Amino acid sequence: MHVVQLVVNGLLLGGVFALSALGFNIIFGVMRVVNLAHGDIVVLAALLCAYEFGTLGFNPLIVLPAAIAGGFVAGAAIYAFLLRRLPGEIASGEASSLTLTFGLSFFLVGSGLAIFGGTFRSVPFLTGALYVGAISVPEAKLLAFVTALILALLLGAFLRFTPVGCAIRATSQHVEGALACGVDIDRVKTLSFGLGTAVAAAAGTLLSMIYDLSPQMGVEFTVNAFAVVVIGGLGNYAGCFLGAMILGLADELTSYYIGANLAEAAPYVLFILVSLLRPSGLLGRRVT
Amino acid sequence: MRKLAVAAASLALILLVVAPLRLNGYFVNLIYITMVYVGLAYGWNIISGYAGYFSFGQITFFGIGAYATGFLINGLHWYWMVAALAGGIVALVLAGPLGYVMLRLRGPFFAMGMFGMAQTVRVLITATPATGAGAGLFLPPGSDVTSVYYWTLAVTLGAIALTLWIDGSAFGLRLQALREDEQVAGTLAVNVTREKIVAFMLSALIAGLIGGGFIYFLNYIEPDAAFSSRLDLQSVVMTVLGGVGTVWGPLVGGVVMTQIAEALWARYPQGYLIVFGGLLVALLILLPRGIVPAVRARFAAADE
Repeated sequence: MHVVQLVVNGLLLGGVFALSALGFNIIFGVMRVVNLAHGDIVVLAALLCAYEFGTLGFNPLIVLPAAIAGGFVAGAAIYAFLLRRLPGEIASGEASSLTLTFGLSFFLVGSGLAIFGGTFRSVPFLTGALYVGAISVPEAKLLAFVTALILALLLGAFLRFTPVGCAIRATSQHVEGALACGVDIDRVKTLSFGLGTAVAAAAGTLLSMIYDLSPQMGVEFTVNAFAVVVIGGLGNYAGCFLGAMILGLADELTSYYIGANLAEAAPYVLFILVSLLRPSGLLGRRVT
Repeated sequence: MRKLAVAAASLALILLVVAPLRLNGYFVNLIYITMVYVGLAYGWNIISGYAGYFSFGQITFFGIGAYATGFLINGLHWYWMVAALAGGIVALVLAGPLGYVMLRLRGPFFAMGMFGMAQTVRVLITATPATGAGAGLFLPPGSDVTSVYYWTLAVTLGAIALTLWIDGSAFGLRLQALREDEQVAGTLAVNVTREKIVAFMLSALIAGLIGGGFIYFLNYIEPDAAFSSRLDLQSVVMTVLGGVGTVWGPLVGGVVMTQIAEALWARYPQGYLIVFGGLLVALLILLPRGIVPAVRARFAAADE
């Protein structure tokens, strides 16, 4: 296969990774919570979309707004009913919220298996391709990429220009400072968790057009989002895109050159290497 | 109170020692599996409970111990217990440099980094023909459940004894100091890097020794079983249920949860994930410090 073709595929994939990672980044930025159930929400949204497409014949783009709304409600509920009620720390640092989302992740995998079974599903929607010279651009990937980009820009505009977005950014920069300025931290956290989860659900809906997914694959997308955020720098939204493109390229190139078996480890290795060598990310500044 | 506890422990110990001579195979297997899970939970508790470095990939060393033992039995025809001992030592030795690198990460980075480590090793072994790849590593036929039982009993008792020692030693205090605040512990002349690497290596030794027995018990091991994130989840749930960073927490949580795990896993794998995942979430909210500290607090209140 032509290298340019692999790069094009990688970049298209990176667009969807970026969307998923944005959600992860908002939750981490505001709450300092690493949501280990993030990927499971991505996958459940994708499977739900595949189910709706398969049995009801709904177009994924019609499902998308419903997925966003559903993801928002689910995320706000996870915060309000679970994370907010955590009574402090069991050992050190973020251990208790981390462990809670670790449990939630397995809970969601089990639920996914009970509802959808263990089979791989996808949405055979827009199976054609556009050709630019010898390079083929699959329509589904292109649509997913463009939609992901639009959603990411809308999210960026929301965070940048609306009062609520401003409160979210303020909270992620300095909790006490935001509190002193009259920001309702609890409400911001509920909103952020809802927003982050809504973005994950949107990413999942788009991914269902590209990937064959099964309920056990959630953890791959969690690591993926975590790796993207670490590569791009925590709390750095522009860095998300850079990280996602790198990971998308790594995914395509490693699967082609060293085989899909070993490529499975690529996000883990990238994650460990970047955390060790450049903990502030490629674009990030040092955060304490 | 103390005499009563010693008497109960001695009685339990005698029962565990005579169990393989008297009970049928099903119960011996059940007690064996319980000891495997309890032992793994003790290993996890040292690095994650006492040192506060929550790891979602300690199972790496269980797998390394199992594979190393398999190679020594197949390649050098060692007696299996010697091979399993060497397997544990291989895990301990490898944990040194791995810990030196990985323990630079903290909090969620360490937890997820260790998860990634387990997955990376699993992928590497699956892709290597010399390790039997995805099909697994097979031992010569003929295993002996009774000897594996006593091996695992000894390792688990050793893990409990080690934890008892840590709990009362200056080393344990240094670990808890770095758990509470690593920087402050560092300024108080605690060599935090050394202490946490030692804790990591001890944790790896326990997991490796248990893994060495496990491959002999099954007569083979496959990458998906040796590096299963399910086993990590189990260690975390059992220790959180019993009490993180306590001497008896892994035992109490492990004994209770193994029965539920074994009943569910074979028949309802999805149900198993729902119950264990859901239970972990519920425990963290409702009983965050675990059974052992809660019971202790109740007794302390009754004494006053």
